[in-house]
Amino acid sequence: MNGSAHVGDQNAPRVRIRSLDKTNVDFVLSNTSLSVANSLRRVMIAEVPTMAIDLVEFYENTTVLADEYIAHRLGLIPLVSHTVDKFKYTRDCTCAEYCKECSVEFTLHIKCTESGTRTVYSSELISSNKDVVPVLETEDDRGAILVKMRKGQELNVHCIAKKGVAKEHSKWSPCAAVAFEYDPHNNLRHLDYWYEKSIKDEWPLSKNALEEQERDPSAPFDYKAEPTTFYFNVETIGCLDPQEVVTKATRVLQEKLGGLQLALDEDQAPDAAANVDDGEPWV
Amino acid sequence: MDTSENLPTYIAVLDVPEEKIEILPGASADLTSVTFSIKEEDHTLGNSLRWSIMQNPQVDFCGYSIPHPSEAKTNLRIQTTDRSNAIDAMNKGLDDLRSVCQIMKARLHQRLKEGNYAHTE
Ligand SMILES: [Zn+2]
Repeated sequence: MNGSAHVGDQNAPRVRIRSLDKTNVDFVLSNTSLSVANSLRRVMIAEVPTMAIDLVEFYENTTVLADEYIAHRLGLIPLVSHTVDKFKYTRDCTCAEYCKECSVEFTLHIKCTESGTRTVYSSELISSNKDVVPVLETEDDRGAILVKMRKGQELNVHCIAKKGVAKEHSKWSPCAAVAFEYDPHNNLRHLDYWYEKSIKDEWPLSKNALEEQERDPSAPFDYKAEPTTFYFNVETIGCLDPQEVVTKATRVLQEKLGGLQLALDEDQAPDAAANVDDGEPWV
Repeated sequence: MDTSENLPTYIAVLDVPEEKIEILPGASADLTSVTFSIKEEDHTLGNSLRWSIMQNPQVDFCGYSIPHPSEAKTNLRIQTTDRSNAIDAMNKGLDDLRSVCQIMKARLHQRLKEGNYAHTE
């Protein structure tokens, strides 16, 4: 196969997808280390970029909710982010505050003129970019409720959505949850279960246990054994497709490594010599 | 008194480190024992890079730590045999881990193309 010359095929990770739908992907990553699997998990949660509202200007707010309360709610609205790669981070952009290259503008101007309650939904936000809009599950889904108004109340806001990662604020996370399991039979004894009478009765096995054999309890414990198979279930909030989150995460990891290598090359020779100890080398 | 005119409307580029990676003082002269300090990285990179570097038979020791939780800094120490050095080991570790990611991505695309899984809408 097209395995790496350095790592060799025996160290090449394998992937098997068990199921995929609009919001979930269930897959098994095998023949790799816990470190790599955990890095993938961490990147999916915190470092896959998406779009989210980051700045809100209030022109009018006579609703019962305070400005900052509404601004926070606006920030948490999931935005369709399939085109996120076309945007720059504002910090890398040449503009002073925001521009088309690094942001999308939203407007919302609603005044309640009738008696009764006027509910404002996220689907009422008007976007400046047809590819970046609030996530809606179905045709007639109106999205999340932003605020409820009575007669005479008004809300007029201007929002700027920016590209970001969940490491900075969780509103940018593409994932609602990432399930992660290995060694479902606890053969490696990484877990020390608390129990009343019987571990088996009190700790039911997950569906992943069907994929692995339980260790023979009479056999000596293999203290050198390491986990090699990892079960993932990635659930998204709709801004990216679940398989998109996983593939983007592998790319983010690669870019991280590439960036570091570049920095290392720049840093090398002349600078390295400056920090060298003249005394005895470390033993 | 209105001072708003003098304030910048947006404070740009606060979190871009000057040097992404540096070698901390105390490295051995032949560079077989080096502690690198990497800025703006955490366990995501630290732990898997440590694993990747440890796969190299020329590496005697590799470990990482995040000295303080409120400082976005990861220290990674490498000690190699005298037939290699820490910089080469670091480069090889990065190369190897990158190809692991590459294979992972390729296999994922392959599986998605095959479509051999339960699909529900
Ligand atoms: Zn811009």
